[in-house]
Amino acid sequence: MTERPTPDELAEAIEEFLANEVLPTLDDHRARFRMLVALNALGIVRRELAQLPPSDDAEQRGLAARIRAGDVPAGTLARVKADVAERLLIDSPRYLDRY
Amino acid sequence: MLGPISEPVLLPGGASKEAWAVDAGGERLLVRRAGGGVIHRHTLSLRDEFEVLRAAHQAGVTVPRPIAYIEDLDGREAFVMERLEGETIGRRIVRAPVPELLPVQMAEELAKIHALPRERLPFLEAATIERLVDELDEVGEPHPAIELGLWWLREHRPPPREPVVVHGDFRIGNLVVDGDGLVGVLDWEFAHLDDPARDLAFALVRAWRFGADDLRLGGIGDVEPYLERYNELTGFDVLPEELDYWELAGNVGWAIGCLTQAQRHLTGQDRSVELAILGRLGAEVEYEICHLLEAQGVT
Repeated sequence: MTERPTPDELAEAIEEFLANEVLPTLDDHRARFRMLVALNALGIVRRELAQLPPSDDAEQRGLAARIRAGDVPAGTLARVKADVAERLLIDSPRYLDRY
Repeated sequence: MLGPISEPVLLPGGASKEAWAVDAGGERLLVRRAGGGVIHRHTLSLRDEFEVLRAAHQAGVTVPRPIAYIEDLDGREAFVMERLEGETIGRRIVRAPVPELLPVQMAEELAKIHALPRERLPFLEAATIERLVDELDEVGEPHPAIELGLWWLREHRPPPREPVVVHGDFRIGNLVVDGDGLVGVLDWEFAHLDDPARDLAFALVRAWRFGADDLRLGGIGDVEPYLERYNELTGFDVLPEELDYWELAGNVGWAIGCLTQAQRHLTGQDRSVELAILGRLGAEVEYEICHLLEAQGVT
């Protein structure tokens, strides 16, 4: 399954936030230094992520297109719900406790 | 004439609009000013939003008093209104003791809004379910849960009602609340013409219950007194099943909204980690869509 932002896009958003919004507000030498180290570390994470093979969303595209065309056999919802629950385990694991 | 003017303070929140608190001549004011980013489709310009606020104020809707529209405030448009005292943060409202009258007051405000004369606000456009499909297609990502929601909405459309002026984002988080109840209805930028039941159901969407999930009306109350008071005032006889329908539509709309907000970041219109993460948090809304479809007997 592909979700956006991708892991690299999320890391990039964090990097921009830290570099452009947080770093300029830091007056403490030690905190500034550690922020620069953290940004370096994040750069390593991003380069590592860039080496992963791209994920394939063909299956989800096919399913979405079939539902759009009105082809919704019994059991479709159960399957879709299981897929969303799987995404939530990554995106917001505690949310599932609310049901 | 104004007397002393305080140093303006930029208030947190609001990715596309700035809000400045300033006191002048002994009055608490709020200056709402356009942000630096792109203006989004389907939202009103500040000029039009100010007109809607004026019309609502004249009609006796509980809103901050509109004061002035400013075409050019240091390069951007803005308007000035009264700055109300009270709480707007949803999470705090649902955790504090809820004023007993709040659900009924919400119904009363909606009844007044839905009676605003359309001809007074000729720039308002009608919205449709189809528009949601267009917005999803513009995002271009596959989201089967959203497709299922749209499919069900197409198949079970209730008889259409005559479109009225609607707020478009009427929910906890956009209301100022104090210990006695509702103090003001804010954020009119999504005002448009629509089925009144759609506006009535938007406050039921789970995301706007701020964790108090058991209270279907925005985490603050039950739906029955709210619906009853609204029907009593409008004579529209909105049925509970219409609320079910439009609650689902509200979730589908917000699920797509999460994706379009994330697109603002991804396309570079408005780089922000807050917008970016909405692309992932939309999964919560998709799960709720599945849950509501199950309740309708879909398998």
